[in-house]
This record gives sequence, C-alpha cells and structure tokens, in this order.
Amino acid sequence: MEIDLTHKIEPVQELPGHQDRAWHVAWNPAKPLIASCSADKSVRMYTYNSPTGGSAAPTFSHLTTIPTGHTKTVRAVAWAPSGNTLATASFDANIGVWEQEEAEEEEGRKGDWECASLLEGHETECKCVAYSSSGTLLASCSRDKTVWIWEVHPDSDFECMSVLMEHSQDVKCVAWHPTEEILASASYDDTIKMYIDDPSDDWFCFLTLTGHTSTVWSLAWSPKGSYLASASDDKTIRVWRRVAEHKWECALVLEGNERSVYSVSWGVGPGLGWVAAVGGDGVIRVWVLSENEDSTLNHKLIAQMPNAHGVHDANSVAWCPRLGFENLLATTGDDGATRIWRVVEALRE
Amino acid sequence: MVEVFNPNPTIFAPAKSVKPFNTESLWVEDPFSFDADGEAADVEQLIDQEEIFDLIRSIYDPEHPNTLEELRVVSAPQITVIGNRVMVEFTPTVPHCGMSTLIGLSIRVRLLRALPSRFKIDITLKPGSHQSELAVNKQLNDKERVAAALENPVLVQTLEQSLVNASLRGQPAAEA
Repeated sequence: MEIDLTHKIEPVQELPGHQDRAWHVAWNPAKPLIASCSADKSVRMYTYNSPTGGSAAPTFSHLTTIPTGHTKTVRAVAWAPSGNTLATASFDANIGVWEQEEAEEEEGRKGDWECASLLEGHETECKCVAYSSSGTLLASCSRDKTVWIWEVHPDSDFECMSVLMEHSQDVKCVAWHPTEEILASASYDDTIKMYIDDPSDDWFCFLTLTGHTSTVWSLAWSPKGSYLASASDDKTIRVWRRVAEHKWECALVLEGNERSVYSVSWGVGPGLGWVAAVGGDGVIRVWVLSENEDSTLNHKLIAQMPNAHGVHDANSVAWCPRLGFENLLATTGDDGATRIWRVVEALRE
Repeated sequence: MVEVFNPNPTIFAPAKSVKPFNTESLWVEDPFSFDADGEAADVEQLIDQEEIFDLIRSIYDPEHPNTLEELRVVSAPQITVIGNRVMVEFTPTVPHCGMSTLIGLSIRVRLLRALPSRFKIDITLKPGSHQSELAVNKQLNDKERVAAALENPVLVQTLEQSLVNASLRGQPAAEA
C-alpha cells in the first residue's frame, strides 16, 4: 500500500568498515563526530563538515578506529555531554571510558583515543551505558539483571553509587532524563523502571511501567522530558506521558513494525518532535507527535525507508543532537555499516 | 555426569532424502549467485520446507547419539517458509527437556550458516510440548542473547559437536 507521506528519508552516506554486525551508533553532542560499535570489538569514529551550500548534506570521513581491547562484542557507546569522553559497554562485562590524548604539537594532529578507565563489576554482558545530562553520573546495565549508577570524578575516576536489582531479567537499555536526575531502564522482563536518588539514603525505583508484551529493547526521552518512548520485541513503540512529578502513563502505542523494534530515537521537530524507530524488518519509520488541545496525543507517520541496510536487520537509530543538523539520522545494521540519512520534505507534484 | 533428561528416547528411521545428495549446494554465502549464462539464479524458488528440513535433519541431539530427525524433534511439516521468513517448530522428546534451548540454538546456528542472510528465522517449540515453552521461545529469538551465547567458547564447542554431521542432510554417516 502506498501511503502519502509528507517527508522522505534521503541517503546521505554509507560508512562501511566494521567486520561484523554494527550494534549501535552515537552522535557526539558537542563536536562533529559520530561513533559506532560492533561485534568486531572495535569502535569507529567519523567526522563531518558543515556544508556551505544551502541544501547540501554534510560529508563524513573516517577519523579513527579504536580496537578497544574489549574481549567480546562492543554492544553500546555513549558520549558524555561535554563530548570529550566516550563510554563503551561490552559483552565482556566491562564498561570502557575513552578520552583523547593531548595533541602532539610537532605533528599538528590530535592524539589517539585511549582507555582512561575500565569499570568492572557486572557479572555478565553489559548491554547499555548512558551519561546523565550533567555528565556527573553514568549508568550501566547487564544481563546480570542489575543497573549500576557510577559517580564521575575528575581524572577518569568512577565511584559506584548504587547497584539496582529491580528487574527480574536482563536489562537491555538505560536512559537518563534530558534535564533531571531520573534514570529509566528497559528489560527482557517486559517492563520499564524509573529511579531517583533519595539524598538521605540510596537510589530507588519509584515506578514500573507495564504494558509491553515482550522484551523492551530501547528507550528515548522526548527532548523536553515530559514523554518517554519505548521500543519492544512486541513490534510496538509505546509513548509514556508524565502526568505527575513521579508518574508516567501510556499515552500512545505506535504500530506498523513487522518484527522486533530494536531502537527508538526522539529528535526535535514540529510539535513534540520526530520519533524514529528501526528493527528486524529493516525499515526506518519516522512519526511526528503532537499534543491535541485536550492533551491527547496525535501521531502521524511522515516518512519511511525500507531495506535501510539491505536485507539485514537495523539495530540502532539516532537523531543528530547538534544545532543545524537536527534532520540527520544515523542507523547501524547487521551488514556492519553505519548509514547517514536526512529527513526532508517530500516534493509535491 | 550431567543429568540426562530423557534416558530412553524413541528413535525413528530417517526418511529417504528428498533430493539427491549434492555437496555443490545452493547455500553459498552470496545469495545473488549467477549461473553460467550470467542470469541470476532463482534461489528464492528453490528454498522450501523440504530444503530447510534437509539442512537441519542431521543435527545431533546434545544428549543422544541420534539426529534430530531420528528423534522426531524436527520434521518437514513443522517448517513454514513464507517469502524470506523461515519458521521452524521443534518438539522436545520430553516436556521437561533441559536441552531444548541448546537444540533450538543448534538449529538457529545451522540455518544462520547455511541460508543466505536475507532470511529471517523464527524458532519455536511445538505449542504445548514443553513446560517452559514461552521462556525457551523468547531466549531463542532474542538476537542479543544468541549473539552473546555464540561468544561463549564452551557453548560453541558443544554446538559444533551437534553440528558435526549436519551437512549430511539425512544421508548415513560414513563408517569411521
């Protein structure tokens, strides 16, 4: 069925190079950098320029490849808000923290990315890692069913503040609220949990969101933080609305995916912004979400791209967070590639 | 000694292979292979229920010296192919079979290696055949768990033993 869509997803560039499945991609929030990670245990970084022409897309070029030293798949990458530090989550049960060495004056080039710290403690595969909006906290999660919260100290020193054992199964994803110190986690136990710090005690789970009927793979907060989107093996995306300070409720279920939804990203845009999702059916879908006057949610599919990674699954999707590049999307797939796309208005006849 | 979940399984004689045994199979890495005339081989037409069954019938059960076909764990009617989607249902020999995840994983690994990558594979227990049916199904179809399992050398070694004669496709193993 042909749907009349208002926008289209244009390919900008393919960034091949991983020798195995590319799991995840993350845009640096402060600099023109993008990092992807893979079952080949490496992280690849690309830089991009600012196009001079009005309608031109940026051009991406390979900057460096970090072999990482992780002994198993690198499952996820996350940038600190400063853009100076990258964290990696690996199936080898460790979290790596990477920083760029000081530039060497003689050679006139930036230094290599070096492992500044290795966070050990999880018992089994780490699935995800995330920095809080202030950059002072790092969260990690694992198949060992736990979520760890680490405090970031100067000189790449980390202190474990809390080990949260609320989920009954693997924890697949952690995501911090864009402005507040609220952490959300998603699990193989089909639930989403949220945590805050009790200043006189420990971090604790204040809310469990149920509704998905299978594994919850991915979470994305809306840019202003009043909504949370979750992507699931049940082929749906749920959108949860904040109805009180510590209360969220399901406001919308987005359907249309034909297989598991592995990743969701919420970018800025008209209304509440653009929600992009990818998964096992290999299709990129973009919806625009808006609030009606009676505060119910309105959603509209505005663009889709089938076979985004050929015949392969797409594993992650991410909107570029930088000003002037907000219509750029990155995806990774089982073909080992990272692909850059941009969402533009469809031309009308 | 590990626990044996079914010490005396019923063993069935394997059916005749439906296709002549041919080591020059279609299952090459490149799904878009070309024949001598330069025309794209119509692979899609050729992969059906029977072909999938041929690929998995000679996988060994992890706890018996028998194939999945001999134990009636897998059979052609339990396989469905719709377009690029392959659905394989399998039946454990006993409903408390602790090897079910391993059997399902061996079927998945065999198909991942043998089929062109355009195929999406779903592997499930026969409904009602296992006391932990939903948990096993969920695990077998979680690509992240499967990927992590395949980075575990001990598990991979066990899988390789189950798959050692998988390429026989129902033919009897050569005498040692």
